[in-house]
Amino acid sequence: MVVRDQETGVDLAVELCGLRLRTPLIPASGTLSREALGEVEGVYGAMLPKTTTPSARAGNPPPRVAETPAGMVNSIGLQNPGVDSFLQDLDAFDLGIPIFVSVAGDTVSEFALLCENLAGEDRVSAVELNLSCPNVECGGLAFCAGPASVEEVVATCRAAVPGKPILAKLTNEGVVENARAAESAGADGLTVINTLPALTIDARARRVLVRGGLSGPAIKPVALRAVYDVSGVVNIPVIGSGGVVSGTDVAEFMLAGATAVQVGTASFVRDPRMILDEFTDYLKENSMGAAELTGALRSVRPVLTGGGDI
Amino acid sequence: MKFYSVKVEEREELGSYTLLKYRWTDGSLEPGQFVMARAAGYPATLDPFLARPFSYYDYDGEMASLLFEVRGRGTALLDLVSTIEVTAPLGKGFRIDPGLRRAVLLGGGIGVAPLKILSRRLNAAAIPHNVFLGFAGAGPAAVAREFPGTGVATIDGSAGTHGTVLDAADSLVGYEAVYACGPNPMLAAVKLAARQNSLCQLSVEERMGCGNGSCNGCVVPVRGGGYIRSCIEGPVFPAEVLAW
Repeated sequence: MVVRDQETGVDLAVELCGLRLRTPLIPASGTLSREALGEVEGVYGAMLPKTTTPSARAGNPPPRVAETPAGMVNSIGLQNPGVDSFLQDLDAFDLGIPIFVSVAGDTVSEFALLCENLAGEDRVSAVELNLSCPNVECGGLAFCAGPASVEEVVATCRAAVPGKPILAKLTNEGVVENARAAESAGADGLTVINTLPALTIDARARRVLVRGGLSGPAIKPVALRAVYDVSGVVNIPVIGSGGVVSGTDVAEFMLAGATAVQVGTASFVRDPRMILDEFTDYLKENSMGAAELTGALRSVRPVLTGGGDI
Repeated sequence: MKFYSVKVEEREELGSYTLLKYRWTDGSLEPGQFVMARAAGYPATLDPFLARPFSYYDYDGEMASLLFEVRGRGTALLDLVSTIEVTAPLGKGFRIDPGLRRAVLLGGGIGVAPLKILSRRLNAAAIPHNVFLGFAGAGPAAVAREFPGTGVATIDGSAGTHGTVLDAADSLVGYEAVYACGPNPMLAAVKLAARQNSLCQLSVEERMGCGNGSCNGCVVPVRGGGYIRSCIEGPVFPAEVLAW
C-alpha cells in the first residue's frame, strides 16, 4: 500500500528495520534538544535524543565548539544526565513517531547494561550504538575502533536487547570492515558516519581551540562515499549521516544507498522543515517515492576515478 | 532553528563597532535576550556555516538593533549585506524587580550591547541607575557617546579613567542591583566586587553553535559542578550560580 502525503501527493515513507517511518529524516544524536522539539513536528520519521550513558557525564570544559570552513568542530564530551534520568524524561520526546535511543559505554559491559535497561522499554523502538564518538576515550584507543571490538560490542548488545532493532553508528575510519563486523554480529542497521576527528587552533592566542569532531557540509563527500561503499557490501539498511543541509543532500544519500538520512548540524542553521520540503519537491519533480530512491544508483555502473578499492 | 529574513534598515558606525537596525514587530523581548544572526543567502552560501549570537542593543517595539564588532568573516559579512537572517528572541534576560531602588550597569568592550536596552527599561520603570563602561582603548570607547552621563575607563588610558570598568565605577556600595556584561575575567571581577550587593546579574559571552539548546556548545561552569547552557539557562545568570 502506498501512503502519500496528503498535501503534496508525494510518498515520503520508508521502511527501516521493520519500522515504518513517515519521512526518511531522523535527527542525528546530540543535535536536537527538548527545547527545540516544538519546531520539528511532522519533519522526522523517528526521534533520536542525545546519547545516554550509564551514569551522568559533565562533559568537556569549554570552549566546545568552533566554526570551520563549511562546518564546525565540537567537543561536547557526551554531557548527559545518565540513563535513569534520561528514561524519566523520555516522554518529552514522544512526538507520535518511533523513538530511537543512542547509547555509549566505556566498556562492553557498560553497553550491555544500557541495552538491558532499554530491553523492556516499550517506548523505545530501536537502539543506536554510538561506537564512534571522537570526544570521549572509549576505555583505550582500540575499543570501538576496529572490527574485533565492534563485533564484540554488537554481539553483546544483540543478546542484551533481543526484541529491538540495533543500529551501529560507525566512524569513517575502517568503515567497510567495521560494517561487515557489525552485520555479522547481528546489527539490524548501520548509521554511517559519525563526525571526523579534527582540530582547530587559535593562532592569535597560540593555543588549541577545539580538538573534537568535524561535522557539517565539509564532511558530506566523505560520508557519501562511506554510505556508497558500505551499502554495496552489507545486506542490512544504512542510515546516511554527515553534512546534510538540503533536500538534494537527502536525495544524494539515498541514491548512494541509504534507507534513511540523519540531519544533525544543519538543524542549528536551518529549519529542518525546509530540508523536508526541498526533498519533497525533488521527489515530485522526479515522480518518485522516497523508498524508490534507495540504491537507485546501483543500476548504473559506477565510474571509479581513484581512491582505494573496497 | 528558524531564521527570518529581514532588511537592514540602518547601519551606523559607533567608534570601532557597528550598529545595525532591522524591523521586528513579532512580539516583545527582554533586555539581555539575544538573536542568532548571519548574512542572508543560506544555504546558497554554506560558509560561514554558523550564525553568531548577539544581544539586543535596543528595541522600541518596531526597530530592533544589534551592536557588533567585526572580528571574522561572519561579522564582516554582516557589516556588508543589505539583508540578514535572524532568529526570534532567545534566552533569558536580566531580571528587573519593579521596586528596585538603585542599580549600576557595567559593560566591558562589546559587552556594552545589552546595557542600552536595559537602561531604557530601567528608565521606563523609574529605577535610577548609573552606567560605567570599560574598553581596551579610545576606538571602541567612542560608543559611550550613546550613553549620556556614563563613566568610561580604558585599559590603555587613551580615554576616561585609566583602568578597568571597576576603576571607573570606583565603588559598588549603595547599589541594590549590579548588572554586567563583558568577557569572563571582567565578570568574575565584578562578581567578587559585588559580594555585598543584594542582586548581581551577569550576561556571559560564549561561543555558540545553535542557540536553541541542542548542541551543548555554549556551556558555563556552575557552582556545585557541571555545566549549563548559556543559550537556554542564560545568557544572563545570577552571579552566585556561576563557578568562576
